[in-house]
Amino acid sequence: MTTEVTRVVTRLLLPPTAMVAFAILVKGYVDTGDGFSAGVVLSLGILLQFLAFGSTVADRLPIVRLAPRLAVIGLGIALAVTFVPVLLGDDVMTHRPGPDEKVIHIGSVEVLTAFAFDIGVFLVVLGFAVGVIDLVAHSIDRRTGAGQ
Amino acid sequence: MLLVAAFAAAPCTAVIGFWRPSRVSAVAIITTAIAFAAALWGWAADAPRLDSAWAPTWGIRITFQLDGLGVLYSLLATGIGLAVVIYSAGYMPLHLHHEDRPPKDAVRFFSFLLLFMGAMVGLVTARDSMLIFLFWDITAIASFFLIGYDNQKPESHVAAMTAMLVTGGSAICLLIGVSILQHQYGTYSLDALIAAAEPSRELTIAMVLVAVAGLAKSAQVPFHFWLPRAMAAPTPVSAYLHSAAMVAAGVFLISRFSPLIALSEETLNLLLVIGFVSIGVGGVLALTRDVLKQLLAYSTISQYGYVVVMLGLGGEKGAAGASFYVVAHALSKSALFLTAGAVTEATGQKALSGLGGLLRRMPALALGSGAAAAGLAALPLTAGFFKDELFFAAAHERGRIVSILAVSAAALTVGYMCRFWFGVFAGPMRSAPKTVTPLLVGPVVVLGVIMIAGGIWPEPISRLAGIAAEATINQPVHVHVAYYFDTRAENVMAIVSIAAGLTLALTVSLWRPIATFAARLGTRIGPQVWYDRTLFALNRLSDSAHRIEVRDLRSRVSTILLPAGILVGAGTLAERNFDELRVGSFDLADLPLTMMVVIAAVAAVTATLTVNHLSMALVLSGVGYSLAVAYSLFGAPDVALVAVLIETLFTLLFFGMLTLMPDEVDHGYIQQPDSTPGPARQSNRRNRDRIIAVIAGGFAFIVTWGVLSRPTAFESVTNDQIALTPAAHGKDIVTVILADFRGLDTMGEITVVAIAFLGISTLLRRWRTS
Repeated sequence: MTTEVTRVVTRLLLPPTAMVAFAILVKGYVDTGDGFSAGVVLSLGILLQFLAFGSTVADRLPIVRLAPRLAVIGLGIALAVTFVPVLLGDDVMTHRPGPDEKVIHIGSVEVLTAFAFDIGVFLVVLGFAVGVIDLVAHSIDRRTGAGQ
Repeated sequence: MLLVAAFAAAPCTAVIGFWRPSRVSAVAIITTAIAFAAALWGWAADAPRLDSAWAPTWGIRITFQLDGLGVLYSLLATGIGLAVVIYSAGYMPLHLHHEDRPPKDAVRFFSFLLLFMGAMVGLVTARDSMLIFLFWDITAIASFFLIGYDNQKPESHVAAMTAMLVTGGSAICLLIGVSILQHQYGTYSLDALIAAAEPSRELTIAMVLVAVAGLAKSAQVPFHFWLPRAMAAPTPVSAYLHSAAMVAAGVFLISRFSPLIALSEETLNLLLVIGFVSIGVGGVLALTRDVLKQLLAYSTISQYGYVVVMLGLGGEKGAAGASFYVVAHALSKSALFLTAGAVTEATGQKALSGLGGLLRRMPALALGSGAAAAGLAALPLTAGFFKDELFFAAAHERGRIVSILAVSAAALTVGYMCRFWFGVFAGPMRSAPKTVTPLLVGPVVVLGVIMIAGGIWPEPISRLAGIAAEATINQPVHVHVAYYFDTRAENVMAIVSIAAGLTLALTVSLWRPIATFAARLGTRIGPQVWYDRTLFALNRLSDSAHRIEVRDLRSRVSTILLPAGILVGAGTLAERNFDELRVGSFDLADLPLTMMVVIAAVAAVTATLTVNHLSMALVLSGVGYSLAVAYSLFGAPDVALVAVLIETLFTLLFFGMLTLMPDEVDHGYIQQPDSTPGPARQSNRRNRDRIIAVIAGGFAFIVTWGVLSRPTAFESVTNDQIALTPAAHGKDIVTVILADFRGLDTMGEITVVAIAFLGISTLLRRWRTS
């Protein structure tokens, strides 16, 4: 049901999609977009793979197999950013470096705990979306009795 | 120290119990012994006050102090606890064997028993009324599991539920009372309250509420019916909860608040009346019961009636008497419960009619429980004698009527105690006992010995009662008890009551019909009937609400939407801010925005008219996309980006889900397989759905309109956030809000996402395998 052209284009599209997602993520604090949209962009890229190749082939992508684990890791990162400050005696979710402190820049990327939190959000969203896509795709395969 | 020992006992026992179930009783005994030793040490040494903030914004503090009252009740909780735990070490294996349950179930028993003990110690040492409420509830929860321990028996379920509802429900009275006090005097701290309180109507209301909580826990009329039911629990539970702990917690609460209660004459009189009624009801019913534990349960109701009366009498004598009484009663009643358990274990008989003549075969048990029964009946040479002396002294001070009532109350006690002891140990032997382990007899003997020792040398108990009374009424108290061989009022009253009690015991056949009639009347019109009826009606109400809700998906959605719509609507109508709902001016520059919103609105309306699921999904995604365009026109690219992405993702997933639908669902109106309504009924139902949708949607529309018409309140926050964004080292405000300013919200949201993922995967996986 998919032609050769769609497949090739789909396959070629995945790296740029990942690149865009990555850009949205790292530029989150400076420009439009954040961890949430980055996660959804990448999931859409993955969803395209499912549509073009079917779940059996798409399952070979490491990101699909690791999706639940990514969600857990992301949640762990976010929780750590939220509650580690409490152990250090600060309020919940105190970001470092604080206001008026020097920030280390790597290009346009700022090294902040808030950025780590955003990565956590990204991973949770990505893990959730890809995981759900995978589950639904498998259920559809079962129902139509085809693994393609 | 005491607190640590008491709190640590339960988790220690639970952990080691799960690890090595065979060792659990040994661990429980050791931890309880440590807690008891700590309580004794706390009595001897001046324990420091523990004070730290808990919820500072609400002024709730964690404050513990071991004052006289705390010493008395924690000694009871840990001391009687120790006796009961030792007894249980012998009893539980036998009990579990009878019930065909694995021996490792004893872990649960000991854990909850010690949890109860820990909560009790916490309760009696807490000095913050919120903290008192907290421990109060923990005791209720622990008692629920203890009373319902034999969870294979239906009567245990009923008993545990009744105890939970009565004592837990009345705990809400405590909470309300404490909140009224806080509202009035601005503090939860008991010491500050006692310093600040003055007689007032609010204080009286609060104190009546607190007293109701205490009376319910102490099984006083009209809440008494839970206690006899709770006898479905294993015997050690009855011995502990219903002698030294749970029911004692009730009178403890009243003692704890008594400096405040003393300011309210009405509450004192209420206590006096309820106390005497409870003595009467409990005493008469105890005379008619045949099952040992039932007899003891009604006797407990009656005995705590005494304590409530003394607290109602108030003053130095009342407070001292109440404290002394609690100690003496806990000693004797736990011994008697343990006796009942041991006797039942030995002979297999639970009722007086099947027992008798055990004196020869079980002399140690007979003497131990004899001392305990004599103590309860206030015979001389037992500690119990002085409890009645103090009781009579307090009553005599109050006047003639109270004195006469007091003497008849004591006579009743003598009567049913004679019935209990002679019924079990004297007369012809009706069933032969087996030998029982010394663990079952030992604690009874020890308690009996303490009872006699207290009768010969009452100094320690009276000192304990003295410091407890001091803490109760918050002023110095001198308790002195001794034997006087003269014709002072107390002695006369004691002699009269003992003589009357013996007469009562000897003339059983004369009054038996009257007492039985009273008991039958009680079961016909007593509070128990009302409780059952209320429970039944509530259950039916909840069932019918449940049936409406779960009938189908539509009714489930409407049960949320309809109340939400009505409540929101009522709120809007009550506020009457109709001028908010104005139509603003229309600008030509807004045309693209307006067009998008109109498209969204048209799509939304279309969605309600389509029948096919696929088109419904498409139309809904149309709503989403046009709204995304509207966002971007507003200059919110972040939001627009997310909206487009999410819309795409979810539309595609929606299609995927639709292919999973069963074919018959996919075509036309969803049929209910269970009801298969006729056409008339179906159109009826459709009309009903439409009405619900219009109500819910209409009010949501009005509220949204109103909120959007007054944007000012929100702008200030937004401006702050825009101003602060550079300080947070960011340039993109939306991201900074998400990750920093409102980071905690985001945290909550992604947690929900993760949980939803868990739910979806469980659901789809299970479906796939089935």
